[in-house]
Amino acid sequence: MASEDWLQRRTYHHTNFWDIRWLLQQKERQGLTISLCLPTYNEEKTIGQEIVIFKAELMDRFPLLDEIAVIDSGSTDKTCQIAAEFGADVYVASEHLAEYGVHRGKGENLWKALYLLRGDLIVYVDTDIANIHPRFVYGLVGPLLVNPEVHYVKAFYDRPIAHSGQLRPTGGGRVTEILIRPLFSLFYPELTAILQPLSGEYAGRRSILEQIPYPIGYGVETAMLIDIYQRLGMEAFAQTDLDRRVHRNQDTVALGRMAFGVARVFFSRLRRDGKIHYDGELPTLMRQFEFAEGNYRLREHTIEEIERPPMIEVEAYRQKFYSEKAPSAPTHPVERQPTV
Amino acid sequence: MTLTVELRRPVEGLPEALKPLRERILSNLTMLARLPAPTGREQDRVQFVLDRFLEAGLTDATTDEMGNAVGRIRGRRGNRTILVVSHLDDIVRPGIEHEIVVKADRVIGPGVSDNAMGAAVVAMLPTVLEHLNIELNSHLVLLGSILSLERGNHRGIRAFLDQYPDDIHFGVCVEGIELGRLDFFSIAMARADLICQMRNSGNQGRGYGSESALVVLNQIINRILGIPTPVRPYTVIRMGKLRAGVSYDTEPTRALLGLEIVSHDDEQVDRIVREMEAICFEMSARHAVEARLDVFFRTRAGGIPFGHRLVSTAIEVMRKLGIEPDQKHTPSEVSEMIARDIPAVTLGITHGRKHQRPKPDYVLIEPILRGVAQVVGVLLAIDAGACDGI
Repeated sequence: MASEDWLQRRTYHHTNFWDIRWLLQQKERQGLTISLCLPTYNEEKTIGQEIVIFKAELMDRFPLLDEIAVIDSGSTDKTCQIAAEFGADVYVASEHLAEYGVHRGKGENLWKALYLLRGDLIVYVDTDIANIHPRFVYGLVGPLLVNPEVHYVKAFYDRPIAHSGQLRPTGGGRVTEILIRPLFSLFYPELTAILQPLSGEYAGRRSILEQIPYPIGYGVETAMLIDIYQRLGMEAFAQTDLDRRVHRNQDTVALGRMAFGVARVFFSRLRRDGKIHYDGELPTLMRQFEFAEGNYRLREHTIEEIERPPMIEVEAYRQKFYSEKAPSAPTHPVERQPTV
Repeated sequence: MTLTVELRRPVEGLPEALKPLRERILSNLTMLARLPAPTGREQDRVQFVLDRFLEAGLTDATTDEMGNAVGRIRGRRGNRTILVVSHLDDIVRPGIEHEIVVKADRVIGPGVSDNAMGAAVVAMLPTVLEHLNIELNSHLVLLGSILSLERGNHRGIRAFLDQYPDDIHFGVCVEGIELGRLDFFSIAMARADLICQMRNSGNQGRGYGSESALVVLNQIINRILGIPTPVRPYTVIRMGKLRAGVSYDTEPTRALLGLEIVSHDDEQVDRIVREMEAICFEMSARHAVEARLDVFFRTRAGGIPFGHRLVSTAIEVMRKLGIEPDQKHTPSEVSEMIARDIPAVTLGITHGRKHQRPKPDYVLIEPILRGVAQVVGVLLAIDAGACDGI
């Protein structure tokens, strides 16, 4: 089976890339630069540790990373102050490319990172990780440095959940198992080989990341997988086992809203790819119920999945990165539907 | 007071020169602190320290027979050997997640101050010296010691000192806090668990006299409070831990009191231990329990004189760095070296807090580079001969 073959060939363990000195040689031999993007919103508890460890181990000790940047969604805590204290470049997302509109969401930050950061390879790492380790970067960069056919690397891991100072050994991945994997099985069966499609850690080549649209919210990870798959096929992917990732738990109600956003992005791809047909636009209203004071109360959440266009279509980006060359049009234009 | 010899690098400039290493020291601190290391299970930290030694080019870094992490930097002349040691174990309760938070001014988390901070500095020392272009004439032995705390009873460093083939001429113990700490003598101490266990029920059991283990232990405590503790020589009994019972409605069959006896005089400690054992014996008979004193940690009184040049030199280095010396005698590995006539001091790296649950442990970031500079300064002074002789 193709998926099993792919799993064998393209599934790595972070220990495959433990020799950072060797990775650095590969990077220099290929003349590549690598940027780390940390999207944040009120992450003062974990951001300091992430930057200290990444800077110390992957810039000061071995300069595998050329820059570490925090792209912040307007934190009201000390996230930005702490990040700057330990040497990260700090960008407030709303202050950049404002002429293209301002939205708030992780996907928005990742999209703007393409403009703000200069690396040929971009590594995205979430900032709520309590057990951060250099492997969260070198484990993802490794496949890109050793295999030119790999364009995008996804993380997977065990995911214990921190709870009241103790650890619960199982949990996490509920949206993946209940929503994403069934949908992939139905419509993009090859993508089921990506073990944790919603993991928040991934790395890609700028050459592909600039070609795909970015939903600004929950759906960005799912959209990336489908859109890169549609352009380059499974051979563009690899995945790396990063062992354990300790993070905050989200309650089921919050995950429900996440699933809603992901589903909207998913259905927009299905329609774009001609896999399903429906008239009009999907609703943006997510309805949930809560029990309080002896009554059930309806809670409505508006969850739009606004999509940013491929960065290569943004004039300011082309000016910054391709001013000495002929401005590039998308190399593999996607027939996109209006954003939903 | 001035240093009697010229150091190869002015001590005052060291903190500034160390600035590029700040994040690497903090990275070592956070990654070490995240590794659980209860006494007897320090293997992950041992491996971490060894990896750092190896990465820094200490090719013969390895564990000794006991399991301590040992690295050596050969001196140009090898006319002295200096041991720098930090214990790797901590007393964080099992099951507590070692979650570390790095804020702009401090690092917070279980065990960061005692003693992930000290271990981070020892792990980093080869890199620090290389960064500063310092090549010592003396051999430098770096030790991450295991089995130090509580029932470990310094077994790690004692085994190391017993087995190390060459003479060690000076010792420096590195502890996370407090900056300014300067220990150079060892106080007599005994740490013990006093365990009160009900005898089994049945014919010989709780039929007569016996009560709740907690109640009996309370009576033992009252008797202990009656043991004389002279002001001179300074002597004190500290009762620090009490454990008994599982439920409101069940009398405990076992109760434990953790205590330490501290004195400037070994004989006072020996006397108090004997008196406590006699109390246990009497109360066992009177209340049909098994009460016993389990002494698991001992240090003997001793030290190097205040006028020793290692002490005066360390004070001078501290003052050059704006550190106010605070001479104490808290227990550390220094007592094991002093017991072997090795002049040694304990130095703290920064300010912070430890062991005040539920308040979390923390260390302040800003003083760390001065703390590291102080260790380097003392090594430079020893290497230059400033501490030779009394």
